[in-house]
Amino acid sequence: MSTGAMEPTAGTGPEIAPATRWIEGTPSLHRITTDISRPMEAKPGRGWWICFGIAGAAVLNLLGMVTYLFAKGIGIWGLNNAVGWAFDITNFVFWIGIGHAGTLISAILLLFRQKWRTSINRSAEAMTIFAVMCAGLFPLIHMGRPWDAFFIFPYFPNQRGPLWVNFRSPLVWDVFAISTYFTISLVFWYLGMIPDLATLRDRAVSGIKKFVFRILSMGWNGSQRTWSRYEIVSLVLAALATPLVLSVHSIVSTDFATSLLPGWHTTIFPPYFVAGAIYSGFGMVLTLLIITRQTMHLERYITTNHLEAMAKVTLLTGSLVGYAYATEFFNAWYSGNVYERFHFINRATGPYAWCFYLMVLCNVLTPQIFWWKRARRSIPLLFIASILVNVGMWFERFVIIVVSLHRAFLPSGWGMFYPTVFDVGILIGVFGLFFSLFLLFIRALPMIAMWEVKGVAND
Amino acid sequence: MTNRRPSCEEAAHAAPGGGEPLVQIGLPTGTRSTGFDATRRDVLSLMGFSLGALGVAGCRAPVQHAVPLPTASVEMVPGVPNLYATTCGGCSAACALVVKQRDGRPIKIEGNESSPLTGGGTCAAGQASVLSLYDDARLRGPSWLGNPVSWPEMDRHIRTALGGHSDAREVVLLSQTITSPSTRAVLEDLRAVFPKFRHVVYDPMSLAPLRAANRLCHGVAVIPHYRFDRARVVVGLEADFLGTWLAPVEFARQWAQRRKAGAERAFHVQCEAGLSVTGSNADLRLAVAPSDLGRFAVALLAAVARRLGDEQPAGLDASALAQETTHAAAVDRIAAELVRSRGESLVVSGSDDVATQIVVARLNAQLGNIGKTVDLERPSWQRQGDDAALPALINDMNRGAVHALMIWGANPVYDHPDGAAFRAALAKVALTISFADRRDETSAHVHAVCPDHHFLEAWGDAEPVAGQFSLRQPLIAPLHDTRAAVESMLAWADRPADHRSVVRDFWRRALYGRTTPAPGGFEDFWERTLERGVVEIPRPPVATHPFAGDWEGAVRDIISRGRANRSGAEHGGGYELALLETVGARDGRHANNPWLQELPDPMTRLTWGNVACVAPETAAALGVATGDVVSLTTEIGKLELPAFVQAGQQRRTISVAVGYGRWAAGKAGDGVGANVFPLARVENGARRYWARVAIAKTGRRARLAPAQTHFSMEGREIVQFEHVNEHEHEHEKLPDLWRERLRGAHAWGMSIDLDACTGCSACVVACQAENNIPVVGAEQVRKSRIMHWMRIDRYFEGDGEDARSLHQPMMCQHCQHAPCETVCPVLATTTSSEGINQQVYNRCIGTRYCANNCPYKVRRFNWHNFTANDDFPYNMQSPLGRLVLNPDVTVRSRGVMEKCNLCVQRIQLGKNQAVLQRRPMADGDVATACQQACPTGAIVFGDRGDPDSRVSKLLAGQRAYNVLEELGTRPNVGYLKRIARKEST
Repeated sequence: MSTGAMEPTAGTGPEIAPATRWIEGTPSLHRITTDISRPMEAKPGRGWWICFGIAGAAVLNLLGMVTYLFAKGIGIWGLNNAVGWAFDITNFVFWIGIGHAGTLISAILLLFRQKWRTSINRSAEAMTIFAVMCAGLFPLIHMGRPWDAFFIFPYFPNQRGPLWVNFRSPLVWDVFAISTYFTISLVFWYLGMIPDLATLRDRAVSGIKKFVFRILSMGWNGSQRTWSRYEIVSLVLAALATPLVLSVHSIVSTDFATSLLPGWHTTIFPPYFVAGAIYSGFGMVLTLLIITRQTMHLERYITTNHLEAMAKVTLLTGSLVGYAYATEFFNAWYSGNVYERFHFINRATGPYAWCFYLMVLCNVLTPQIFWWKRARRSIPLLFIASILVNVGMWFERFVIIVVSLHRAFLPSGWGMFYPTVFDVGILIGVFGLFFSLFLLFIRALPMIAMWEVKGVAND
Repeated sequence: MTNRRPSCEEAAHAAPGGGEPLVQIGLPTGTRSTGFDATRRDVLSLMGFSLGALGVAGCRAPVQHAVPLPTASVEMVPGVPNLYATTCGGCSAACALVVKQRDGRPIKIEGNESSPLTGGGTCAAGQASVLSLYDDARLRGPSWLGNPVSWPEMDRHIRTALGGHSDAREVVLLSQTITSPSTRAVLEDLRAVFPKFRHVVYDPMSLAPLRAANRLCHGVAVIPHYRFDRARVVVGLEADFLGTWLAPVEFARQWAQRRKAGAERAFHVQCEAGLSVTGSNADLRLAVAPSDLGRFAVALLAAVARRLGDEQPAGLDASALAQETTHAAAVDRIAAELVRSRGESLVVSGSDDVATQIVVARLNAQLGNIGKTVDLERPSWQRQGDDAALPALINDMNRGAVHALMIWGANPVYDHPDGAAFRAALAKVALTISFADRRDETSAHVHAVCPDHHFLEAWGDAEPVAGQFSLRQPLIAPLHDTRAAVESMLAWADRPADHRSVVRDFWRRALYGRTTPAPGGFEDFWERTLERGVVEIPRPPVATHPFAGDWEGAVRDIISRGRANRSGAEHGGGYELALLETVGARDGRHANNPWLQELPDPMTRLTWGNVACVAPETAAALGVATGDVVSLTTEIGKLELPAFVQAGQQRRTISVAVGYGRWAAGKAGDGVGANVFPLARVENGARRYWARVAIAKTGRRARLAPAQTHFSMEGREIVQFEHVNEHEHEHEKLPDLWRERLRGAHAWGMSIDLDACTGCSACVVACQAENNIPVVGAEQVRKSRIMHWMRIDRYFEGDGEDARSLHQPMMCQHCQHAPCETVCPVLATTTSSEGINQQVYNRCIGTRYCANNCPYKVRRFNWHNFTANDDFPYNMQSPLGRLVLNPDVTVRSRGVMEKCNLCVQRIQLGKNQAVLQRRPMADGDVATACQQACPTGAIVFGDRGDPDSRVSKLLAGQRAYNVLEELGTRPNVGYLKRIARKEST
């Protein structure tokens, strides 16, 4: 375990604390390359196979269930006239939220010159890509007629007469926001990998591998000029991606905020959703990295210092989310609106109250342990907390969506949502898809940015 | 309106070369099976049939041959509906109808606005009866000893069996009330052929005690014709006259006329055990157990007599009589109101007790209502059943005195407490014949089943009220190899005749002479009557005498029985089981009609089954919650049913709806709910509709299928009230930043009068029929996926026995600032230039965002494919059942949203008509399906752009409001506040 005391002091005055080291020990540059390339070049271990087996089974389950869903219609879910969205849109918002941490780490922290991002940005960005892919599945499969899904894109030539999408609908804004987000994230992620892909090309033994990496690395030659331009492009892309961190989830939140449903119709949603997204994203990054550094033996590069930094972000965003919860209740009371008041009383005392309390427990109370440094640096505690954060954030979306819908304006239209085996099965299946993609990623591509880590290796 | 046609005959007359047999409509022979297993061949044949129906004048003309389109008359235009007047066969009320026929198929029942009785209203069962025409469970042809035979073979069998009879033994026709005068004449003819012919009449929901009381008091065994429209005070004693009792459509119309009369508004008191449609609309509702009803009537009589200074029952103290009921204070008030409105008041009772009916007759006589609101001289001919006759018949059958028994329109094995005995006795009869349209509980045990036509395939007539006649004519050639029961009986009596000539000859012979002669003679009269559907032919008044009943004896009888009952109840702590009829199930004859099974009962909002309604206090005492299965045990039977906690239920009573628990109705009706008929017995020749009962928990739970689960308004102003004699403050118009929507030639809107709406639910079925709304089944209803575009929300105000039940029709409100519209990503829902919020099915991708954002929750999503899908085996699964579909309305695929569109196809039709007639559209040109069905005229549709239209005036009035107005959705559908009298019980 690295501590500041072991490192050479960088400052001149004794009063300045030593800078935090983001790599354990002082590995040579070659060592860094071999360490990070190992998962891609060696046969995968048993741990990887077990994880991939479980995740792959879940993917098969997802395929089967989605096929059945397309065959029979979404009546196989527990949705009804009162509750038109439940697990489907809960999952959608959940996965979109997960993606946010990746962009925050790679773009905003790059602009703020946070060196600790170097070890984790690659996998966080990969997580973003996969999470957005998982999220993107739901708008498609939640449709009554998925074969007509292309109707939501403004397409040209428009062979259906003067038919356009409804630019007033937040679902159309979602289409633009998410496709933009996915594109930028993908480009940024890929661009960030080019120097490493070139390294892999140079290390590749087999012909096919070399061929693939040669194509992917786009003739990277590592010259001074290349590096200089590369740095500029990275900054530009980071600047482009930065507003997306705020905009995407703000727009997703307008799906709810622009409606007139008590529990949805509230102006606090955009910042509240962004905070929640970053919160849940960091929760997921923590979960993934704790598993990966353990199974792939990368403790040297993903250090407890990294985890501690992430715990701090988690504490901040978790508290913001808690503040938002309180504000919602305050406003419902303060507005005097009978529907709002009823909704929040129902949220805390109605049939889904257990979901609400589970959400408060996981999202508001759990991160409070990170006020203590020992908790921030305890791997088991971090792992459990990160799982709880994910559970809590999933339930937050469930509470917002289902509890608002199930008892709206006219009591005659009230109903209950009970998930079916297909609701749960698809939820599990999508987790399987996400982990499968991530597991394949850590086998096929460098999950830590070698060239960036080398930059901070010997600070 | 559309092409209103006098008769299908004309079409055939116009066909060149008339007599040539061209195309015969009817199912191909390959489909002759009751189970209707559609093989590939069957489907092809049916497709052929459907195509045939498209091109064929589907009416049964005198030549008995339908005519294909190329040579058809100008009347049959593909795509243009024809309307024919006929008479409903759904119950004995025989309402006058106008039936919409499209391309040869009857597809929609409408009320006949020419009828002086119903004025164009219908009920839920009547609306649904068009679907029964296309019921798969109907028999495809006659069968002898269970084997299909041809009609000549059948006639041979029956003639042989009848021929062997000696004069000593009887030929009996068992039927429910027959209101057809021509059929009654035919039955007279049969007496001449069969010397010992006897006609036994019974009704599952009998009113025999009422007739008996009138015989004892006024000398005539009749049911009076009631005039609720002339009554300023109405007291109903266990008579659900707005929902199910006697002639609910007519009564609801009369009652509503008094509701709309402003200051002259009638005061309506209802006493009943279980909450009924009528009770929920009363100004004052009192929960009275069936065993207390007589004493309530006695107390009322005593109070009225005291105020009138009349004699009191001899030997009884008036003040003691007042204490006979727990509602003493209310009784005094009601008496005061009654006395104030002498001659303009009305007391009606559906009691099964003759003594109580005598007291009621005495009340009406004392109040001077006879001849005013109670018309005995021109009585109602509905419910002629004799309670004592069926048990006597069973005796005769067992004695072997009956040689042949014909059963027509009756199903005693199911709907009579002695059903099992009847079934056993059938074996003792040499020849048993049933005219049932299906192999039902009774017809499964007879020798010969000779299926009668559905009423839409048949000729006929009716006289539901003396002097008020209506005609019935076929709208389609018989779908199956059926034959009119009248034709069958005449054939066996060796007087073969076709039914049309029977009816026509009867009218020429017996009725035409009593009318003012028409210039064109009988032909002219006949054609005009067929076109109009109804005619009033005065008949000499029935001779009655002033009240002369032994009312004192009746009072003493009631008091003594009541005291015995009370002490019995106090000692046994027992409950009373009250049988009630619901607007969907009625007496169970429509049980295989999935529209009615899925119609939420207005009082419980439950579909697909009946329940044991218990009062909240009783439920608490018994530890029973809604859904707990309880066992109900009476002297003669036992039943297990889920409990339903119903506010407003009398504490000592448990109400159970009849009409459920059939076992041979067909796929949709079998095994739905439980049959409560066998739990109340026939006592001293009178059929009882209540019984002492023991209730016990079984510990099991049942899953109900409710269309609504929450009945409190939670303090929200959803159903609003205006208090009589209270001026409301000037209504504040909320500010709006948006410009008025640009609009086209019209601005369609609707007004719904909550004070006139009774909750009868006719509109719900009418909407379902008009708009091809699928039936989804109990499991989907449990998942809150009922598809109805229109629903009748029910809310409670108050609690316990005094709870007041409020009905609110709710459908798309056609908001000018529609929340659904802004959120749809693909513009699948938009507002038309005429103010209709329209759903574009082929653009909809099913995100359901619109439904989530709809504050009225009126949007309905196709969660599955509900058409031609074996998972949903209701009418839209079967090729035959799909013939009822309205070709003007898209059948929606799975995955799309749907909702009310204000019957846009009817608006289009109205516009086309106006264009063809080169005139602007007038107010009233278009009636939506719900409006047309409404017996009380609570729904008014029209152009809000026209300040003189009815809807504009109504919505500009003091009582108008919008539901959830504060949301700023600005609906085009407005409501008129319910009027509340300040009543304290």
